[in-house]
Amino acid sequence: MSKNKKAPNTQLFDQYRGTIRSRTGGWFPGQGVFCHGYNMMEDLVGKNSYFQVMILNATGRLVERRLADWVEAAQICLSWPDPRIWCNCIGALGGTMRSSVVAATVAGILAADSKAYGQKTLTEGVRFIQGALADYKNGISPQQIVSTECARFGGKPTIMGYARPLAKGDERVEAMERVTTALGFEDGEHLSLAYQIEQLLLSEHNESMNINGYASAFLSDQGFSPEEVYRIFTILVTSGVTACYIDTLERPPETFLPLRCDDIDYQGPQPRDIPDRT
Amino acid sequence: MSDKTQKHRVVHRRSDTFVKKQLTKIWQEQPSTSNPYIAESARCYGYDLLELMQHRSYVEVLYLLFQGDLPSVDQTKLLEELLIAFINPGPRHPATRAAMNAGIGKTDPAHILPISLSILGGSHLGAGEIEGAMRFLRKSSKKSADQVATELINKSIKPKEGDWHIAPGFGNRFGGRDEVSQKIASQLLTSPGSGPILAWGSAFADAIKDFDMGWLTTGVVAAALADLRFQPRAGGGFFQLISAPGLLAHGLELANKPFTAMPFPTDEDYIIE
Repeated sequence: MSKNKKAPNTQLFDQYRGTIRSRTGGWFPGQGVFCHGYNMMEDLVGKNSYFQVMILNATGRLVERRLADWVEAAQICLSWPDPRIWCNCIGALGGTMRSSVVAATVAGILAADSKAYGQKTLTEGVRFIQGALADYKNGISPQQIVSTECARFGGKPTIMGYARPLAKGDERVEAMERVTTALGFEDGEHLSLAYQIEQLLLSEHNESMNINGYASAFLSDQGFSPEEVYRIFTILVTSGVTACYIDTLERPPETFLPLRCDDIDYQGPQPRDIPDRT
Repeated sequence: MSDKTQKHRVVHRRSDTFVKKQLTKIWQEQPSTSNPYIAESARCYGYDLLELMQHRSYVEVLYLLFQGDLPSVDQTKLLEELLIAFINPGPRHPATRAAMNAGIGKTDPAHILPISLSILGGSHLGAGEIEGAMRFLRKSSKKSADQVATELINKSIKPKEGDWHIAPGFGNRFGGRDEVSQKIASQLLTSPGSGPILAWGSAFADAIKDFDMGWLTTGVVAAALADLRFQPRAGGGFFQLISAPGLLAHGLELANKPFTAMPFPTDEDYIIE
């Protein structure tokens, strides 16, 4: 093992001490607000949609309006006001506890930062289809891709973007297919492969592509990386969580699924005395 | 899209079987005879709450809550020392600064902790590093610390910029060894409840000393929690719990002060690259 006994180098930290360096933008009173090289009030406000600016801040790319509209439509699909969904339930609990709408909604967004559902799963969905396309271009067949992926989970069709919890089939895919067509987008190579994978999963496991798989493939065709997609969809579940919050806020406190003591199935130790310290 | 695919856009609920009641082994509430929604008593893992208040310390009940059994005297001592050691990340820590920003910004005081704990959840010196550190310590402690250090030094690639965490919980901070963490670890080692993981971690910290690396806060917490038999998955959240008092205190300290009580970089010190 070679040894390095130089004095600690703090030059990097000294360079940043007392100074903010931004690759994003900033507000300079009297000069303007700047956002990724654009003058916000002159170049962006009134000329671009909120989703275009949101994607700009998430990725550094000012995308065309129709792509921002597509993302907006996808976000509508991915958040709805049913408090049985885990993140929405947190919003409802916030309402019944009289949390602020912001606290409850942010808590719901944080809950959806999950490896089982929500925005983080898009990262894996995009990573899968981009890896699958790379394999496909290297001569690996869709059948091999599906078999390999399923083998990782004991033969089950546990591929991010295909199948879904609670239900079979996904009505949101068809809705987004209509949006894609209406906005004039063609199916790209990721989406084409995604459909091939879906056909295999349908025939072998009776499972179809879900909205994650469709969005992951479509956004991959638009040139986004997994991390960029994750960032674009940061507040994915916002509207549904807020809706569930409002519903319980407008009812008496603690009326959202109130629990009697015997509604809890206690399975721990029976009553016992506190022992002497050891 | 084929007809077959079209057919599967039709949604059917799966036949999942959910439990009828929420299960827990932690807490039991006895219903009042007059109102089933009101509890007349509560027990934690079988111990009556009021009796715990009389006969046990907060630290002992904290351990009980997470482990299911009361700790030994030695375990209590180690846990109490750990809770004190990391009660406050300090005013320079990004999570504390988030708390201070909330305070000075007149944010609802009830939001100070969720805000700062979210930042403390990060994977750099935060809760997000604890689970990995616990897994690293539990796995690597089966080999000699010198051997693991040599392997990691030889195979790891030092980042071009910034600090180098050669393993979760170990590395350098601001280019050097985190001296307070070394001292805390040394003191915890003298606690009768310390075990093989803290000892192995200290040997590992010594083995990487010549590279200006050693214990990080996250490594010390991870090692102590591992010796206290906490599961890795519990480590991150427990680290947040340990640090919460300091975060809240710093946020509240600024809650009644004007915006000018916190530095605000000038335009000259704000550079758009």
